[in-house]
Parts: sequence; C-alpha cells; structure tokens
Amino acid sequence: MYRLFLALRYLLTRPINVLGMAGITISVWALVVVVSLFSGFLQVVESHVHAASADVVVGDLPAWSDWRKVEAALRDDPNVAGVAPRLLHFGILSRPGHRPPTPPLPGRSALHGGDQPFLFVQGVEPVAETEVTGFAGWLADPAIPSELRCESAPLAPAAAGPTVLVGLDRMRRDGLRRGDRVLLTTAQLRGDGKGGKTPVKVQLDLVVGGAFKTAHSGFDGNTVFVAASLLRTAMFPDQPDWAPEAAVRVRDAATLDATAERLQRAVIAVVERDGHGFGTAQTWRQRNAQFLESIAHQRGLMQLVLVIIMVVAAFLMLATLSMMVTEKVSDIGILTAMGGTPRGVASVFLACGIVITGCGVVAGLALGVVTGVYLEEVRRAVRWTTGIDLFPIDVYNLDRVPCAIEPMWLAQVAGMALAVGILVSFLPAWRAARHDPLVSLRGL
Amino acid sequence: MNETALQAVAVHKRYRLGRQEIPVLRGVDLAVARGETVALLGASGAGKSTLLHVLGLLDAPSAGEIRFDGRRVDDLPVRERAALRHRHVGFVFQFYHLIPELTALQNVLLAQMMAISPLAYWRVRKQARADAEAMLERVGLQDRLRHRPTELSGGERQRVAIARALMASPQALLADEPTGNLDSHTAAGVCELLFDIQRQRGLALLLVTHDEGLARRCHRTVRMKDGVVER
Repeated sequence: MYRLFLALRYLLTRPINVLGMAGITISVWALVVVVSLFSGFLQVVESHVHAASADVVVGDLPAWSDWRKVEAALRDDPNVAGVAPRLLHFGILSRPGHRPPTPPLPGRSALHGGDQPFLFVQGVEPVAETEVTGFAGWLADPAIPSELRCESAPLAPAAAGPTVLVGLDRMRRDGLRRGDRVLLTTAQLRGDGKGGKTPVKVQLDLVVGGAFKTAHSGFDGNTVFVAASLLRTAMFPDQPDWAPEAAVRVRDAATLDATAERLQRAVIAVVERDGHGFGTAQTWRQRNAQFLESIAHQRGLMQLVLVIIMVVAAFLMLATLSMMVTEKVSDIGILTAMGGTPRGVASVFLACGIVITGCGVVAGLALGVVTGVYLEEVRRAVRWTTGIDLFPIDVYNLDRVPCAIEPMWLAQVAGMALAVGILVSFLPAWRAARHDPLVSLRGL
Repeated sequence: MNETALQAVAVHKRYRLGRQEIPVLRGVDLAVARGETVALLGASGAGKSTLLHVLGLLDAPSAGEIRFDGRRVDDLPVRERAALRHRHVGFVFQFYHLIPELTALQNVLLAQMMAISPLAYWRVRKQARADAEAMLERVGLQDRLRHRPTELSGGERQRVAIARALMASPQALLADEPTGNLDSHTAAGVCELLFDIQRQRGLALLLVTHDEGLARRCHRTVRMKDGVVER
C-alpha cells in the first residue's frame, strides 16, 4: 500500500511532474488528432475517387478486339450490373479567338494535375455510362448553376454541332457558358504512305453542352466528355467495333476483388490471339493505388515522426522523475528501516512514472478525441482568431475537415505511450533501488 | 527480562574503501533482553551506529550472526529480512527522518501500510487510522495530526518518529542518538516518553548516545571502542 500512497503524495506535492504528464498528453493528443485527420482524409479521398470511377475498368483492349464479344463476356458474370464502353483520347480545349488561361485551375494543385494543359477526352455512351457510374448525378449536382447546367439529353448534338461536357471548375476558370463554341485540338497517327506513321493535327468544333461535377476535383479538372460515336468517327474511323476500355459496375462491392479476377479471366478468354490473352481488369482502388498509397504513406511518416516526439516527451518525464529520486533519497533510508525492500522502494518511483504516464495517456486520448470530433470548429476558431487556415478545405473539395477516429489506433497509441512511459520510469526506479539506505540514514 | 530479543554473536563488519578494507566492528557480542534498556556509549567512529544498523538488519554483518528471539536472521533472504525489520524492530534516528510530504498522521500511518496490500489496507483503514491517532495522542500530539514536519518543532518531530516506530508493535526499539538534535528541556521530555513507552510495552531498547546521564537511566551500559565492546 505504501508504494501507491507515497507515489501519489510525491506527485501531488510536486507540480513539476505536470511537465512530464503534459509531454505525454501532448504527444498522445498529436498522435490521435493528426492520424485521425489523415485517416479521415484518406477515407474522403477514397470516396471521392470511387465516386468518379467505375467499380472495375477493363482496359488495354487491343484495336482488333470486338466490343460486342467483350461486353457479352463481362455481362456473363453474375456480379456484373452494368457495362459501358469508353473511348479515350487527349487534347487541349480552347475558345476560338481566346488565349488559353494560365494553369492551374483555381484552388487546384499539382496533386490534382491542375497545372498541366492536357485533358483526358472520354468518349462515352450516356445511357450506358449512367449504368456504371454516377454520370447522371454529376450533371445534376446542386453546385452547378442553372446557366451552366446541361439542359438537353447529355451529349446530344446541338444545332451548332456536337457537344462536350466540361468540369464545373474548368468552366468557371475558362469563363465558359452553355452553348459556347470550343475547339478541341488533338493529334492522330496516320500512315505516311511509306510504311510509317506520322502525327496529324485534328481539331474538333464543339459546343459546350453543360458542366459536370464529381467529388473528385482532379477528375473534373482534367476530363471532358464527348459522345463515343463522335470520338470514334473522328479518331478511330477504322475500328468501328472497338472500345479500348470497358467500365463495369458490380452488384456486390464486398466481392469486388474476386469479381475483378473473374473478369480478368473472362476478357483474356475472348480477347485472345496466338495463344495470348489481352486486356487488364482493375478495381477502382487498383487503378488509383499509387495516389491512395501516397496519402497512406504520408500518414505512416507522420505516425513515425509523432512516435519519436512521444519518446522525446518520455525523456522529459525521465528528467522530472530523476530529479524526484535525487530529492527523495533521504526517504529511501527510512522506508528501508520501516521494512521496505529495494524492489519496494523502486516500485514507489515506478508507480510515479505509471501514474504520470497513465494520466497523460487518458488526458491525451480524451483531448485528442474531442479535438478530432470538433476539428472543423477548431479550424474555424483558429482561422477567426489568427487568420491562419490550418487545413484549407477548398483545396481538397471538402465541406469540413475530415476525421476518422479509429478505436484500434487509440488502443495502439495508449499501448505505445504506456510502454514508453513505463520503460522510461524504470531507470530512476532502478537508481532508487540501488541507493544505499544507510547513506540516507547517516545523513551523508 | 530473561528472553533475548536481539543478539549479536561475534559480529564483524568491514567496509571496503578502494582496495583497503576498514574494520568497523570486530567480534562484537551483545544481547538485549525483552524489557531491558541498554545504552551504547562510545566515541565517534567506535562502531555504535554500525552495530545498531547490523542489529536492525539494515546492514549485513561481514561475519558473525544476528539473532531475533534466538533465531538466526542475518542469513535470510532480503524480503524476509525486510518483513522481520518491519515486525520486530522500530527505529528512532537523530534526524527524525520524517517524510516532508506527509502530515504527522500520515507519517505514522505509513508504518501500517508497509506490509499490507492496498486492498487489505482499504479493509482496515478506519482501524489503522484510529490506531495512528491513538499513538499520536499517546506521544502528546493529538492536536498536531494534520501538521507537516516543517510545521512541527524538533521535539514534536521526534515524538512523531517514536509513534511511527511503535506503530507495527515491535519487540525492540533501536534509537540512534534520539536526543542528539534537541535542546536539553525537549530532550528530557522525549527521553521520558521513550522510557515510559518502553516500560509499558516491555520493549527491548538499545540506545546509542553520548549522554552519560541518559545512559545512567538504562539498565545496562555498554561501551564501545574501535569496534569492540569494552569489558
């Protein structure tokens, strides 16, 4: 009993121990808040990327492949709910007589590819595309003002020509309006009559049909949609039955990976030549793996840095505990005289370390969880009082600062902090145990 | 007064200082019976305090034996020696050695807590507190229970130390110059208290002192010189 009693008395009568506790509290708090922020950010980015993607995309289909056979093979899978063909190309969009504005797009960074001039041009069949993605919803997003909203059937030719759908942010940056004429400049490889191929400039006169908006601003900034028939006629006139990519929606997302593996086998079976199968089936997560992993990697690095900060904080506790042992050596003698053992004396100081760490961990977790829950409010308060925006949510197309508090992570942080705290407390406790009680009793 | 409470048999104690071995006790034989008071006199460096520490199991003899109630105890494991020290012996030191963070009551209660788990203490906490209060009342400090050592006079501090030493109901009291830090008036009061309690409880009292007058109040006086008991 004396160990706990003395430990508590020592702690309560020495305000300096609050320093050690504060160190642990701050490091635990930082670990909870920063990692929860990154986890939340990762979840949001994943949901944004997924919202702008089909569940599975079968790509790399060769020019000689037959779309009807590919589609039939994909639709044969019991988990496939919809299949849509996609033609892909690239180009630069400009207004006739206007100089193209300087990139990047407003609020965009290199993270979203906003500072490169090229666009991905997707040739889609609107009805089929609606089956596999949120295409219809992207056109009806409430953020799109009525004057930019697509009024007629999507990608239906206007009186002035074929239409193009442009991302809302790009529309705003370029000052585009529905019905504006735009020029899509691209290139095509054509035979030079000598057995080689040479790039030839191709320009398509288009009319802006309206804006679209997904949650993934990088996708919006870099993609325009045109009718698949238009792109096929203009760019791939010799391959009337070809689609380089098939977008697939599944019924049960829980078995997405298994479905992608089945689709991979199915497409290889139908797109086969000389014993080799062609085509690659990838889930939306696999297609964006590099981007998503880069965020997860940043989270890992932050974890590492913050754990090191926790170790540094533990050294602060080591310093205060060592100071306490130095001050209390005079008590070691009388404790021994009253029947204490070296191990018992060590336990007093170890208990001090455990109590400091325990209180620091509990306070850090509680503060971390509360800060995490009210992170957006904290951001606003900091911006209001200091003018500094700690997390500019516009950059990431977010409504509020994301935060995902994972109980397993809380348990890991608590476990790590307790382990470090206890480990660090051993040193002063061991020093106390080795102190000769007679030295204290003789007052030497 | 026949039962031997504490006994040193041919006790030697040497300390190592670098390569040199310094003998402090050289074959000391001493027995203190229950109810007996023994004064240990001698010049500084004679080995009085060392003998007290060895007898109280605070230090191990280099050779010889320490016996409690006739049983050899110096060769017991650390844990058992600590338990015996708690049950069998009470210490009173010249510099009181009270814990400054604790009140007088808590300093005395601490002795109760030494050999008991938190759960067991929780069950007996009221009785323990009552016992500690009674003990402090016995030494005349019923009005100073919640005072910290810094708020007490030297005499009062020594009374708290005596109360603490008696809390575990030991059979022997080892006092190392208990009045060495007090003025004569206060010292007389503390001595009176010490002898009174010793008589009342039938304790074996070994008193290290330089005070011949105090020594004369004891049943027996033992003089030490150069680590040897003078005959």
